[in-house]
Amino acid sequence: MAPEEKVISPCLRFKQKLKSFSMFKKQIFLLLSFMIAFVAGLQLVHAQATKIMVAGCVVDSLDNILIGVTVTSDRSQTTTDANGKFVLDINKGSMLKFSMVGFEQQSLSLDTMATDLVIKLMPSHNTMEQVVVTAFGKRQVKEAVVGSVSTINPEKLVTPSSNLTNALVGQVAGVIGFQQSGQPGLDNSNFFVRGATTFGYRQNPIILIDNIELSVDDLARLQVDDIASFSILKDASSTALYGARGANGIILVTTKRGLAGKARIDLRIDNVVSEATKMIELADPITYMETYNEAEHARPPFKPDFFTADKIYNTQKTLDHAPGSNPYIYPAVDWLDLLFKKRTNNLKATASVSGGGSNARYYVSGTYNVDNGNLKSSPFNDFNNNVQFKTYQLRGNTDINLTKTTILSLDLWGNFNEYSGPITSNASFSTDLYAQATHTSPVLFAPVYEPDAANQLTQHILFGNGADGDGGTGESLKYYNPYAEMLRGFKTFSTSTMQASLRLSQKLDFITEGLSFNGFFNANRYSYFDYQMAYNPFYYTVQLPSGYNKADNSYTLTWLNSAPGQATEYLVYTPGVKNASAKVHFQGDINYNRTFGNHKIDADLVGIRMQTVNANGNDPNTGQPSLPYALPYRNLNIAGKVNYTYKNRYILEHGFGYNGSERFAKDHRFGYFPTAGAAWIVSRENFWSGKLSEIISSFKLSATFGASGNDNIGAQRFFYLSDVNLQGGAPATFGTNNSYSRPGVTINNYPNPDITWEKAIGLNYRLEMTIAKQFDFIAEYWTVDKKNILLTRLVPQSTGLENNILANLGAAKSAGWDLTGNYNKAFHNGMILQVMSNFTFSQGRYTSYEEANYKEPYRYVNGSILGQPFGYIAERLFVDDQEAASSPTQAFGSGQVMGGDIKYRDLNHDGQITVADKAPIGYPATPQIAYGFGFSISHKGFDLSARFQGTARTSFFIDPASVSPFIVPSGLSGQTSLLKAFADDHWSPANQDLYALYPRMATNASLIANNLQPSTWWIRDGSYLRLKLAEFGYSMPNKLLKRMHLSKFRIYVSGTNLLNISGFKLWDVELGGNAFNYPLQRQFDLGFNLGL
Amino acid sequence: MSSNNYPKYSICIIIFLIISGFFSCKKFLDVTPPYVGTLDYAFRNRNEAENYLFTCYSALQSLGPADDPGFLTSGEIMYPAELGGLATRFQLISGNVQNLSNPLLNYWDFWSGSNGGGNLFMAIRRCNIMLENMDKPIDLSVSEKARWTAEVKFLKAYYIYYIARLYGPIPLYKTNFPIDASSETLQVRREPVDSVFNYVTQLLDESIVDLPEKINNPADELGRITKLIALCVKAEVLATAASPLFNGNPDYSDFKDLDGTQLFSTAFDPDKWVKASNACKEALDEAARQDKKLYEFIPNATITYLSDSLKLLLSLQNAVTEKWDINPELIWALNPVFPYQGYCLPRLYKENSGSENSKSAPGSFSVPISTTDLFYTNHGVPINEDKTWDYAGRLKLRTSDSAHAFYIRPNYPIPAMNFNREPRYYASIGFDGGYWFGDGVTDQNAMLSVQAQGEGSIAGPMDVVRTNITAIWPKKLVHYLSSYIKSSQYSEVQYRLPRIRLAGMYLLYAECLNEAGGPSSTVYDYIDRVRNRAGLKGVVQSWKDYSKNPSAPGSKEGLRKIIHHERENELCFEAQMGWDLRRWKEMPERLSSPLSGWNIRQNTPENFYKQVIQMVPVFTTRDYLWPISDAAMLTNKRNVQNPLW
Repeated sequence: MAPEEKVISPCLRFKQKLKSFSMFKKQIFLLLSFMIAFVAGLQLVHAQATKIMVAGCVVDSLDNILIGVTVTSDRSQTTTDANGKFVLDINKGSMLKFSMVGFEQQSLSLDTMATDLVIKLMPSHNTMEQVVVTAFGKRQVKEAVVGSVSTINPEKLVTPSSNLTNALVGQVAGVIGFQQSGQPGLDNSNFFVRGATTFGYRQNPIILIDNIELSVDDLARLQVDDIASFSILKDASSTALYGARGANGIILVTTKRGLAGKARIDLRIDNVVSEATKMIELADPITYMETYNEAEHARPPFKPDFFTADKIYNTQKTLDHAPGSNPYIYPAVDWLDLLFKKRTNNLKATASVSGGGSNARYYVSGTYNVDNGNLKSSPFNDFNNNVQFKTYQLRGNTDINLTKTTILSLDLWGNFNEYSGPITSNASFSTDLYAQATHTSPVLFAPVYEPDAANQLTQHILFGNGADGDGGTGESLKYYNPYAEMLRGFKTFSTSTMQASLRLSQKLDFITEGLSFNGFFNANRYSYFDYQMAYNPFYYTVQLPSGYNKADNSYTLTWLNSAPGQATEYLVYTPGVKNASAKVHFQGDINYNRTFGNHKIDADLVGIRMQTVNANGNDPNTGQPSLPYALPYRNLNIAGKVNYTYKNRYILEHGFGYNGSERFAKDHRFGYFPTAGAAWIVSRENFWSGKLSEIISSFKLSATFGASGNDNIGAQRFFYLSDVNLQGGAPATFGTNNSYSRPGVTINNYPNPDITWEKAIGLNYRLEMTIAKQFDFIAEYWTVDKKNILLTRLVPQSTGLENNILANLGAAKSAGWDLTGNYNKAFHNGMILQVMSNFTFSQGRYTSYEEANYKEPYRYVNGSILGQPFGYIAERLFVDDQEAASSPTQAFGSGQVMGGDIKYRDLNHDGQITVADKAPIGYPATPQIAYGFGFSISHKGFDLSARFQGTARTSFFIDPASVSPFIVPSGLSGQTSLLKAFADDHWSPANQDLYALYPRMATNASLIANNLQPSTWWIRDGSYLRLKLAEFGYSMPNKLLKRMHLSKFRIYVSGTNLLNISGFKLWDVELGGNAFNYPLQRQFDLGFNLGL
Repeated sequence: MSSNNYPKYSICIIIFLIISGFFSCKKFLDVTPPYVGTLDYAFRNRNEAENYLFTCYSALQSLGPADDPGFLTSGEIMYPAELGGLATRFQLISGNVQNLSNPLLNYWDFWSGSNGGGNLFMAIRRCNIMLENMDKPIDLSVSEKARWTAEVKFLKAYYIYYIARLYGPIPLYKTNFPIDASSETLQVRREPVDSVFNYVTQLLDESIVDLPEKINNPADELGRITKLIALCVKAEVLATAASPLFNGNPDYSDFKDLDGTQLFSTAFDPDKWVKASNACKEALDEAARQDKKLYEFIPNATITYLSDSLKLLLSLQNAVTEKWDINPELIWALNPVFPYQGYCLPRLYKENSGSENSKSAPGSFSVPISTTDLFYTNHGVPINEDKTWDYAGRLKLRTSDSAHAFYIRPNYPIPAMNFNREPRYYASIGFDGGYWFGDGVTDQNAMLSVQAQGEGSIAGPMDVVRTNITAIWPKKLVHYLSSYIKSSQYSEVQYRLPRIRLAGMYLLYAECLNEAGGPSSTVYDYIDRVRNRAGLKGVVQSWKDYSKNPSAPGSKEGLRKIIHHERENELCFEAQMGWDLRRWKEMPERLSSPLSGWNIRQNTPENFYKQVIQMVPVFTTRDYLWPISDAAMLTNKRNVQNPLW
């Protein structure tokens, strides 16, 4: 019993209560007034005029029912249900309008009640009448849009890949991207809006899903069937409302919502077979050994044959399965075949239910995806070590009409991912088994040994390996056994993202007509953890010659890692990273949209505040916990936009974003980003008539100019504060026994209060036209000046600064073209043909970059193309040692330069090859050109479509350090495999080809440092053209559907990455420099889509 | 207001409240709480400031032998090139690894691949920060403030001196530039060598006044700078400035700044030697006041009996490896410890070979034969000058006798060059057939010996890492009690590598006096103090009795050579010679012959004792000063490159 409690008298307690009451009084009062207001709002009723009821059905030109057609009259509105039916009470004599994206609007006026109307909507050929989704998910008629917005029809995003980002590239003008890994869960494409136009920290677009800024992973996992609209905002004007976040473009996605009507069920199931687009080809074990010996002889110290004739002879016998051969003593291992299977199966299932009545509507969906990797399972193991990536997703979007003018929406979304895969040595989970399998010698040891006489009762797997010395106990292991790495255990991660949003939409016509308000609150939690379980494999070797009895072909195994604790039969658990983050987002938006005769005004004023807090406040530079990184990330944004249209012909637009970010000093915290734009619909002019208007049915010109920003300019947290580690980094120790230490102080960052936003000034010119009502053409030319790019200042190091000084000194200027051409034709026999094409070109240059005073003009980064790599210019291979000795000195590493090594051009003629001879070479890794084209044709229920995608003006380096045969690349402990192409075509004394594919070999990287330099020798054209997607489907005709009580049934087969045209043959060109990554996947899909 | 309007206004109020929320939260963006650590916090109180004082010391304590040109470039020790890293730095004297794009031991640019170079410019900046903020700690006493200021000034001076020895003229950052200084002002010119040394001397003079004479709390503070250390460093700085490399060096007569300023003085100034000798005298007077004297071994209780010759040997070996607090000779040593004992120790037990590994005791620091040749005969004169010593027959095999009973194991044929050498030879060099007192055995009748003939021998080559490429070990750098027996852990008796010890100061004083005024009895006296401790007779008498050149000590030039040679023997392996040979401009001479060792993989004495060349050193005039990297040249337009680079 606590004695203190007695002391407090009841009177005092009451006083305390009173006090706390008064503290909360204000808040309670506030709450009450809110509630009163709310209830009162619900009772808001308007007087009624004379009403009549109309009902009917809406169909398209082929008499297919149309679902979701908006039917409006005055202030009442509804949409057609799953059977294409609608019912609406309207004022007598008022106009009834039917509208739907992709169809011409129809209207009629009615005086009497009608219950069996049949309205036929004709497909729209004038894309300008379509609706596009712009900033904050606002639906805007296309003709009123002044800025540059591209939309993708969500149906076009349906591909066998479960990763949405891989479906983006080539779909629309203005998106440039590439994919560099095919591993499930880690196969995101890297994409840019209008290319990489900055050399700053963040170059990718902001991704907004239902107005919430989310990660690329979230976009990747999004289900296409849940998407209602997909827009890409490209210029300053269209991103104006996002102000400081819009500089690199914005991807805007909204998810589907329920439509009034009876429950509508949609189900899609896909079974996907996945295989590598192209596997690398390795040389056979005999060639490997012979070439290895050749490489040993190629350079001093000229060593004798590493692989003896006896070894080669016996290995050949192993390959031939000759009698008396022994695959354990003379192994010939195809590691790729041992570890990986050719094909794997994936499953995708998604279902949704939507519907509702006049008071509430709902959209509920669930998804289950399983992506499998292509690792083989092993008879030795009980647990599955293959890569498996599972995704579960749930979404519920509900809209409730609280009053006739008030809609309350509650959206819930959960995304849960489970990954399981083999142990990897790096933290990124990217499977390095490919790298390991291709960096292990095929002939040095067997993956697993059959038990010898002594090990008959051994329970564990007898993995093969070798030891550093003579194989004594406690030695470090010499090789990497990828098979053991694959079998020894597994590593998993789980992520979950949960999100809830509440939105209140209120029409405020009672204040003034056309005014409305949208309030929005969102909370998002992300969590992550990983762990691994693995045993430590037992490694064995056969010591030759003593361990092998040739007479009876038996062997004796020697246990290599026999020191205590080195090998375990049981699993050891290792916990991993645990991470979480919390986001909160508030938003309020007032919209005023009204037409006065010829004048039309659409204005928005928006306020947003966002906060993100991360559970692990780790400094990304050091990986250590650091206080600043634990503080919340915040943004405050006030933005507005006015769009004025006169006579449906002339449109003026002005917008601004006023943004604050907590990362900058008080004086530089807020940035103001104004934009302006104008459009002229020329085809609405009176002179546009007759023949001209028949040929060119619509013609629109627009131009925008404006600023946008980027606050994500560096990994650094607060640029205006110094970041000092008062607890370490510069220790000293004193005392007789060195017992008194202090950790010292180090400076991680010097404060710079002037650091502020990266700013983009953009100009966009756009021309849109429709020719002969069938051909749509859009051309855009744009420029963007990026300023204030954060860069590291160039300071003489003798000043003794402890870290870099950063400043907003960088600038870059980019320009490009976005072209789109689409053709739509509906034939009289009902066949519909659509052809689409797009093209994007983007190129940027550094316009300001702090760098040294080079003597050689080509060394300046300033003025060079953004992203263009620097390297040496390789002329050819040296003819002989003499030429190598008499040429300009190429001193790289400790190796001597010899005949057959790469000869570099001495650009500055100083008689030596140094960093001063590096010049910009090739094209950037991010393609400067991306294009796509395709067609779809449908007739009598059958449809066929194909889509090609390509990139051009891009190049990459073959990474010589990781593909050079026999050497051990840094970070790996095995020797690189011999690519068949290199075995067939390399410089050797016997084949002194000065332009051979691979230069003179060696078995040690330090001897060929000369050849490992980035140079034109290794640069390759990265452009390609791909048949990205081909699909053939059949949809059941209406009559049959009705009989089966279905609204939709479609069955289809499709394939991705079916064909690739590229000049590069060694591996899939999109993988880029390193061949030994998880290969890109070709996928075949058999699926069906069913609607109830 | 009609009642019908009430709800509408309510809605307006709600919306207004929500919207005003966005405008009324200016503080929303103030996420940084107060008390986020900035540099100011480092000087809030004495406790934090002490941490910063240690920060200033930090660079000094990281100046280990692996980063020290004095240790790496003297040719006293070799290390196989193919092991990379440290081994590459040992290759500096091979003449083909130093380069401009990424210089080895780059002390100029610390960020871009320092290759072993320390962050001394950064350390200078830290010292300046400490000096700027010394008034801030509220609870720092006046006397402690004075001491700390003096220590930081000393450190700043020492760092500048260290860089100047490498690069000659260097930019002087007497105070720090603000970080927002324009790039124009940050491009600082190199100051002439004399101004650099003058500034160093000035800082040392300022520090000497307030440095403590004694460390009162050695348990916590041993290693901190004392007055004596500063006086000795000042003497060393002045001697360096007076030495031929920096004093009127004709090689640098054309070495000018971009605006024509001469960076090296063109005329030799004899007065610099006078200043140096005065500074030595001042330092030695202080040393005498501190009861500093040459070390003599006192056996510990576990050693029951020790012959005089072993005792002498241990006096010489342990003068380096004895603990600082009980070694009266040690003036300044490098904290915390010498990290390479395992590299200097040969394998002495059969059991070692199986379970040792490359990290604990590879025994791979290899002494070339030319280094062993430097040690005198037992008569205290060079082996090629001793009238009684068979120089020509030094490679003939012979076995031990009673005179060498404590130095060389019996009945084990080894070359005659190992016999009749001065005690410092046996104290410093571990050679095949030589006894190794210690390593677990302190009974002089059961001493272990080095057996290094061929791959099968105990100390012979094991693999790439555990191989001594000359089969000769720098015994002096191993504490005699450090041992590695069987599979138990390597048990190291740690020591701090001396930076300045009294014997070195004696010889420095002798050198400066001789340079300033030629031979004198004082000069002889200071040399002889060192020689006598090593069991040798005085320099004049030794030369008179045994040298083929008996008059050498009588001339300034002859005595200079003798002093230099004496220093090489006395301070062998102690990271001094690389510096001394540079300032004397004797590097080419010292590195004129190939560095060779024994034929380590042969296992008969006849085959084993064939000289095998391991490296042909190349040293040219340009190698006296370090190259400035291309990057540093480009970032500072006022930089001039060192001559011939």
